Amino acid sequence: MNVGIWASRLKSGQPSLLLTCLHICPLPGVGCSSVQQKIYVQLNKTFPCVRLLNATHQIGCQSSVSGDTGVLHVLETETDLDWVLSSGPNPPYVVLMVAEHFNSTMMKLKGSARVAGVAVVISKAGPAQGFSPHHSCPNQNSGVYSDSYGPELAGCNVTVWNPLGNSLSYEDFRFPIFSLHEGEEADVIRKCFLDHNRGVNGSDPAYPLCAMQLASHMYAVKDTATCMRRNDIQSRFSISPEFVCDALADYNVWSSLKPLNNSGKGHLDGESVVIAATRLDSRSFFWNEAPGGESAVGGFVTLLAAAQALRAVVEDHPPSQNILFTFFQGETFDYIGSSRMVYDMENGKFVIDLDNIHSLVEIGQVALHRNGQLWLHSDPVSRRNSSVRMAEPDVSQPLPPSSFQRFLRARPIPGVVLTDHMSAFSNRYYESLYDDAEYLNVSYPSGLSPEEQLEYVTDTAKTLAEVATLVARSLYKQAGGLDDHLSSINADPKIVTQMLYGFLVQSNNSWFRSLVSPDIVKNLGPQPPQYYVGVPTSGDPVKMPTWLVQYVLANFTGTLRNLTQTQCKNPEDLEGESKDLYSYFWVQGPVPPNSTQGEGYCVRAPVRLVKAHSPAFELHQYSSRDYSTWTESRWKQIQARIFLVASRDLEMLTLGVGVAVLLVSLVVTYFINSKADLLFSSSRETTSTAY
Amino acid sequence: MNLERVPNEEKLNLCRKYYLGGFAFLPFLWLVNVVWFFREAFVKPPYTEQQHIKTYVKRSALGLLLWVAALTTWITIFQHFRAQWGEVADYLSFTIPLGIP
Repeated sequence: MNVGIWASRLKSGQPSLLLTCLHICPLPGVGCSSVQQKIYVQLNKTFPCVRLLNATHQIGCQSSVSGDTGVLHVLETETDLDWVLSSGPNPPYVVLMVAEHFNSTMMKLKGSARVAGVAVVISKAGPAQGFSPHHSCPNQNSGVYSDSYGPELAGCNVTVWNPLGNSLSYEDFRFPIFSLHEGEEADVIRKCFLDHNRGVNGSDPAYPLCAMQLASHMYAVKDTATCMRRNDIQSRFSISPEFVCDALADYNVWSSLKPLNNSGKGHLDGESVVIAATRLDSRSFFWNEAPGGESAVGGFVTLLAAAQALRAVVEDHPPSQNILFTFFQGETFDYIGSSRMVYDMENGKFVIDLDNIHSLVEIGQVALHRNGQLWLHSDPVSRRNSSVRMAEPDVSQPLPPSSFQRFLRARPIPGVVLTDHMSAFSNRYYESLYDDAEYLNVSYPSGLSPEEQLEYVTDTAKTLAEVATLVARSLYKQAGGLDDHLSSINADPKIVTQMLYGFLVQSNNSWFRSLVSPDIVKNLGPQPPQYYVGVPTSGDPVKMPTWLVQYVLANFTGTLRNLTQTQCKNPEDLEGESKDLYSYFWVQGPVPPNSTQGEGYCVRAPVRLVKAHSPAFELHQYSSRDYSTWTESRWKQIQARIFLVASRDLEMLTLGVGVAVLLVSLVVTYFINSKADLLFSSSRETTSTAY
Repeated sequence: MNLERVPNEEKLNLCRKYYLGGFAFLPFLWLVNVVWFFREAFVKPPYTEQQHIKTYVKRSALGLLLWVAALTTWITIFQHFRAQWGEVADYLSFTIPLGIP
């Protein structure tokens, strides 16, 4: 309750907060006339932490319905932690901390009843020692290693893949946690704290105090089975159903070197395919924030560049086998995309079958390799059983977390995973906010315009182009291509650097604008895309990274067709065009120098999207141990604001005075009423109607 | 309705109707019966129908008490154990609160 704010503000004379409010006020000419704008300062550029659920647990953060309010406290040293946890006189507190302290203090704050919320200020660069809120053994229970398959390799017994992982993203917090970037809003909060919340000369700070309210009330609880059951009850018995959670889902992108007939599903006779796989998604502690540099972008940019490099030989000297490029979404959350593709293949719902797969090459995290050193991982259990004698490597190490593990669960397919790490990840910011362009050294000299930055070839681009050349040549050879033509397969560093710029720095650039359809161009924002898989909504059925990868792949593997826009939508009856073999995309095209919009072209490419929705939801097995059961809670309102609060005593006093005034007025009215004839007897009374 | 001007047989009739009606799982009818006819049954000077009215009011009060006890017990149990009962409780609930188990 903030009833006493005006009284206290007039008393202590605080013009600073009022001036700040005027500055943030939307109508500076009119002035902050609204009472609400005088009291609250909204914080707009915040990212919340939301609740996710799986078959057994709920993770993430929860707040109360109208938000959790606490007195603001800025954490700078360990003694400040003490103030929050035990010695501060005005609990509960909302703690503001810089990201360096996030790692060490969160578990201590988690259990305390005196903490109402946490706000983290994220700086540009991550802590030097590394930070990963993910598990130290990612996707441990959804891979191939279990008690029945390589039990000594299961559970990271041999290699801990992510040693810096502290599993913070997988904890369940009962208070809200928000993040904001360094800037104006963080300064406003710190100023508010410095002005009001520090006692003079070591005494306790006096009311009014600066407080922060964080609201991120999540609807879903307990686990996926509970929330899906509640969804079901709502949809069946309620007039206006209010769902509580949604399954994490998006689309996988796939393409083939030689087109496959999409109308035929199941086993394709005579077809032998080499699958080149990688993943598209990442995550961080906070919702919809996942720069995913090394964990996702490095891998799929390499595969896209390899697809483009193979174009040189696909026309004249195609390999004997087909190559299928697959980009899986949702791999962070127990392999949503790859488990769905394997499930579709097992049930004859995909163009090919598991028996059609000759081998699999997966691109893992490749962008941080030192001295050009790359490693190929294979599965030791398959090697034991294989009939071919190979030189045993020194360390018998399991496969790193990879989509290949889901294929191995179904069939013993030969395959390798290409990474830049021999054992533990080289990525010190795995699945965190700091795995961004700067960490990958995708940086440009100052003074370049966006167009110049797009064209500038960074060192990272050059190294990734080398990796892509290697991948493309290996794929060609693996698919039965001849050695003579290997030298003509080269990935172009210029294309790689354009992709890195678009996927890591700025997606609204001229190259991307020319590649995508006019509808998508509108949604290209000034920020790089975020790689969190998310949930499909009616306004946003496919996530932006999936669209971008689809259109880039279409550009690399497709051909331009001379069709109008209507023809491009329905090319059924045209000669030489087949919707079974290809997809047709209407793209904007490059913008000519004298106009603002491209003309529009029809691109035909064998690129398709398939649903990446966990089979657990198709089969209604919401407590499944075999498939991913991750869901995201729904919510109504997420907001953060700061304001001054008065002491409880002042609030109670105001309430008491109000109630007293009410009672007194009732008594006075009663007396006036009963003595009305005495008080108001002037002239003769007119006849009054009697009841 | 002002009972002052109603003849005594009508009063008895009304009381009986409310008493019988309450058996159709309508304890509020019994509550109305008790409150409305209390003065008639116990405060007014005796008249012929008053004995019957007294019986009806007493029985209505008894029925009402039983209902209140039963409902209070069930509501307390349900509110306390709803979270633990999981699936059964969800199917019994009319509205399930959001965000708490």
